[in-house]
Amino acid sequence: MTINSDQKHTPMATLALVFVAIIWISPFSWLFVNAVDTQATGELRWPQSIGIGNFVSAMSGSAAQQFMNSMILALGTATMTIVVAAGAAYFLSRVYIPGKTTILWALVVMRMMPTNGVLVPIYFTAEKSGLLNPLGVMIALTILNLPFTLLLLKNFFDTVPLELEEAAHVEGASLWEILRHVVLPLSRAGIAVVWFFSFTSAWNEFLFPLIFSRTDSVFPMSMGLYSAFGEHGAIQYGFLAAYSIVYAIPAIGVYFLLRRNMNTGFAGVGVKG
Amino acid sequence: MRKKINPWLAGNIPLLVAVALPAALFLSVLVYFAGWAITFSFTDLETIGRKSVNWDWVGLKNYIRLFTRQGFLQSLWVTVIFTFFSAVIGQTIIGFLLAVALRGKRGLLKTTVEVSIMLGWLLPDIVAAFLWSASASQTGLINRVIIEPLGFAPINFMNDYALVVVIIANTWKGSAWSYLLFSAALDAVPKEIIEAAKVDGTTPIQRLWKVVIPMIRPHIATNMLFITIWTFTYFPLIYALTGGGPGNDTNVLAIFLYQTSFDVHRLGYGSAISVAMLLIVGALSIFYLRLLKEPK
Repeated sequence: MTINSDQKHTPMATLALVFVAIIWISPFSWLFVNAVDTQATGELRWPQSIGIGNFVSAMSGSAAQQFMNSMILALGTATMTIVVAAGAAYFLSRVYIPGKTTILWALVVMRMMPTNGVLVPIYFTAEKSGLLNPLGVMIALTILNLPFTLLLLKNFFDTVPLELEEAAHVEGASLWEILRHVVLPLSRAGIAVVWFFSFTSAWNEFLFPLIFSRTDSVFPMSMGLYSAFGEHGAIQYGFLAAYSIVYAIPAIGVYFLLRRNMNTGFAGVGVKG
Repeated sequence: MRKKINPWLAGNIPLLVAVALPAALFLSVLVYFAGWAITFSFTDLETIGRKSVNWDWVGLKNYIRLFTRQGFLQSLWVTVIFTFFSAVIGQTIIGFLLAVALRGKRGLLKTTVEVSIMLGWLLPDIVAAFLWSASASQTGLINRVIIEPLGFAPINFMNDYALVVVIIANTWKGSAWSYLLFSAALDAVPKEIIEAAKVDGTTPIQRLWKVVIPMIRPHIATNMLFITIWTFTYFPLIYALTGGGPGNDTNVLAIFLYQTSFDVHRLGYGSAISVAMLLIVGALSIFYLRLLKEPK
C-alpha cells in the first residue's frame, strides 16, 4: 500500500481514501444544498425550491456592509504589511549592520510568540490611544505579521543577484530605478506570498475584531457570522450558508490565484528566464 | 570584518534607514508589549473601575493564583487534551497517512481528497465553526446521517461531547498543513533508496518505519513544532463553537485568558496567564528543536 511506485491503489487504500473524501466533503455539500434552498432548515436534503434568494440577502444590507468592512480590513492590512516590511527587508538583505544575526534570530523567536501573549497590552494601548476601531485592528495585525513577513521578504531579496543591480548601477540607474526595474520584478513571487498571507489572515481574523469592535457597523464578516449563529432563537440556515460561501470565496480564491507564485515562493526561487 | 557597501547604496544610506524605520518602530512596539505583559502580570490592573488607574504591585500573587485557584490548571488540562488529540494525533497522523497513500499517485481520487482537505484549511475559522455547530446539532448532519439510521436517539453533541466535537472540527480543518508538509518531505526521499529496500525483501510497513520515517524525521519535528504551538494557542474555532462551555468543558487557555481579561476585566491576572502560555510554548519549542537537531 505504501511507498511503492505503482500507480494503482489497493482496494483497501481506495476505500479508505473515498471514506476520507466523504468525511471532508459532506459538510461542504450540506452548506451548498442549504445555500441554494430558499426554504432551508439546516437539514441535509434535496433543496425544496432552488433559488438565489439566500445569496441576494447575503450580499445586501448589513451583510454587504460587513463584506466591505472585511475587504477594507484585509486590503489595508496586506498593503500596510508590504509597505512597512519591504523597505526594512531590503535593508536587512543588503546593508551590513553589526549584530544582524542576532536580529534575525530575534525575528524567528518573535515569529513563534503566540498572539495571546501580547493580547492584553495591545488592547490596553489601543484603548488608551483611541484605536479600538478597524484601523487599530490593521495596525495590530501588521505588527504581529511583521517578524514572519520580514524574514520571508529578506530571503527573497537575498535571491536577487547583486550583479544585476550592479549592472544597472553602471548603466547609470538611480537606487529608485534599480528597485523598481530590477529588484521588484524579480521578487514579485515573494511579495505575492506575503500579500496572500497577510490578506487571508486579516480576512479570517476573529479575535481582534471581537475585542476591538465597539459597534455593529464596523463588524467584519467573521463577527457578522459569529453574532448571527450565536443568536438565540431560529437560525436562518439558508442565509447563513450563503453568507458563509460569500465569506469563504475570497480567502480560497486568493490562494488559488496565487498558487503558482506560492510554489515558486516557498521554493525560494526568485530568478526566472 | 566590515563588508564594503555596494556603490549604488552608498549614497542612499539615509533613505534606506528611513524606509527601514517604520518596521523597526513596529518591532520595538512588539518587544515593548511583551515586556509590558510580564510587568503587568505583577500588578492588579483591571480594565474598568478604580484599578484601571490606581493599580498596585501585588508581587507573585497572580502567579500563585494560577496554581491555587481551579481555573488555570483545569483549563491547562483541557488545552493539553485538545492539543494532543487534534494536533499531535489527529492532524499529524491523518496528514501523514494521506501523504503516504497519495504519494506518486494521480487521478480523480487524489485531486478530490487534496482539494477537499485544502478547502477545509482555507475556510475562515468562523465558517468552519458554523459548519460544525450545524453538523453536530440535534437535528444536524451527524445525527440525521449516522446516529438515527443506526436506530439511536439523536444526541446533542454540543452538550454532551463538546470537547470531542472541537477536537474533530480542528482535525478536519487543520490536517491539510501536515499533509502538504509530509508530501513535500516524501517527495524528497530518493526513489533508489526505497527500491533498494524493496530488493532486500522488506515489507511496506518495514520500509515506512525503518527507511522513510528516519529520513523525514526533521520534517516530523518541524510539523509538530508548528501545529503544537498553533493548536495550543488556538482561539476562534473553539470560542465560536462553544464559548468554552458547556461548563468549562472546552475552556482552553486562549479562552480562559480572553474571559479573564475581557469578561472579568482582570488584566493583571490575564497577563500572568499570557506569560504562563508564553513559557509553556517556549518550553515546547525547545523540546521540539532539540528533537530536530539530535542526530539519529
